Amino acid sequence: MNAASSRMIELEKTHLVKPPSIGSVPGLQLFEELILPHLNAAYNLARWLTRNDDDARDIVQEAYLRAFRFFANYRGGDGKSWLLEIVRNTCYSFQQREKRSVKNVVFDEAVHAPSASPLDAEEALVTAGKHAIMRKCIEDLPETFREILIMRELEEMSYRQIADVAGLATGTVMSRLSRARKRLEECAKARSMESGK
Amino acid sequence: MNCSRDLIEAYLDEELDAGLGASVEEHLSVCSSCSELYARFLEQRTDIKSAAPYYKAPADLEQSIRDSLRKAGSSEFKPAAARMPWRWLAIAAIVLLAISVSWNIATMTRRPAENDLIARNVFADHIRSLIGTHLVDVPSTDQHTVKPWFNGKLDFSPDVKDFAAQGFPLIGGRVDYLMDRTVAALVYGRRQHVINVFTWPAGPEKIPEDHFSRNGYNAVHWSRGPMTFWAVSDLGTMELDQFKDLYVVSR
Repeated sequence: MNAASSRMIELEKTHLVKPPSIGSVPGLQLFEELILPHLNAAYNLARWLTRNDDDARDIVQEAYLRAFRFFANYRGGDGKSWLLEIVRNTCYSFQQREKRSVKNVVFDEAVHAPSASPLDAEEALVTAGKHAIMRKCIEDLPETFREILIMRELEEMSYRQIADVAGLATGTVMSRLSRARKRLEECAKARSMESGK
Repeated sequence: MNCSRDLIEAYLDEELDAGLGASVEEHLSVCSSCSELYARFLEQRTDIKSAAPYYKAPADLEQSIRDSLRKAGSSEFKPAAARMPWRWLAIAAIVLLAISVSWNIATMTRRPAENDLIARNVFADHIRSLIGTHLVDVPSTDQHTVKPWFNGKLDFSPDVKDFAAQGFPLIGGRVDYLMDRTVAALVYGRRQHVINVFTWPAGPEKIPEDHFSRNGYNAVHWSRGPMTFWAVSDLGTMELDQFKDLYVVSR
């Protein structure tokens, strides 16, 4: 067999395993069947990362369009991890854009963390329940910890799946998760003492 | 078994294999400080689940996504297809496919194939080191003895670290032969298990980090600067990753 004909066979094989072409109705149908069921997971992650309903909505919408554009690269496997990776990237590029477009306002944890505003802190004191404290502590975790905690505890994903989404080694996922739990424990303890005063 | 927060958390997250899981379970039944820690983890998990809302997508979001997908599908692709003569479109598609296939072969297949070859050699070397009586040339738990021992035996000076405090004591080192060159083999212990770390300068081209397993042995590969590292053992992937992380973060 010469090189050209073996390449043709390669081409055919590649063509067969690929999902039907983008833009055609079958491709869209397949995409909707495989990827759309993970909409809640996508929204939940975006909502926890942005801490804001409107942003989460925009991000999920954009992430789905991106996912559809990349759908030809989807090689089967875990559709949820595949989508969440795109949602996560969309979140981070969205925040980069926000950072650039809002002059003189630095987007950082200190400004955007709910605890930074005295009003919110007061509110926390008033609500003061154990759950309110825990929720606030999760919201205040740095993003690198928060995303992993949410994927583990709310999405119940494995270390391997989380590692795929966040582009990390499983050992790194494990150590970040451990640090997130430690921080949460300390935060909850400190806040409940505060509110007990 | 010793107390290990990491293992308890991995047990909590159901990430341990059955054997290790059973020994953690057994340990929890006899060790009060670990079982207290485990209980605290369980309580925290319950707290998180009841405090952290699972935000479901708003009811209308799905329809709005479906609409924008349809729009994207028709506006981006169909007019282009309609404008172009079919023959040219077919040629363009074949050219693109050929490019993507050769690109895939060039970028995806080549590296893993090379990695697979190295992995095969690494597994073979590891097993050979365990069968024979030649595990270490320089038996020493002291990194300052092992590192200088390599002087003059290799054309590079390997990174030698001891992680006895973290449960991976250095056992020694030897010179080995892998991928047509001499490499440093560093030997570490973990309970009854042996870890071989093979390291050599692989040049600026980085092979991506990767995991391999064969016949119950696991290997993990990473690189730092020009140096490439392969750790291989009969330990589980998780513990091997833990070891790798120690190595990576140590300076």
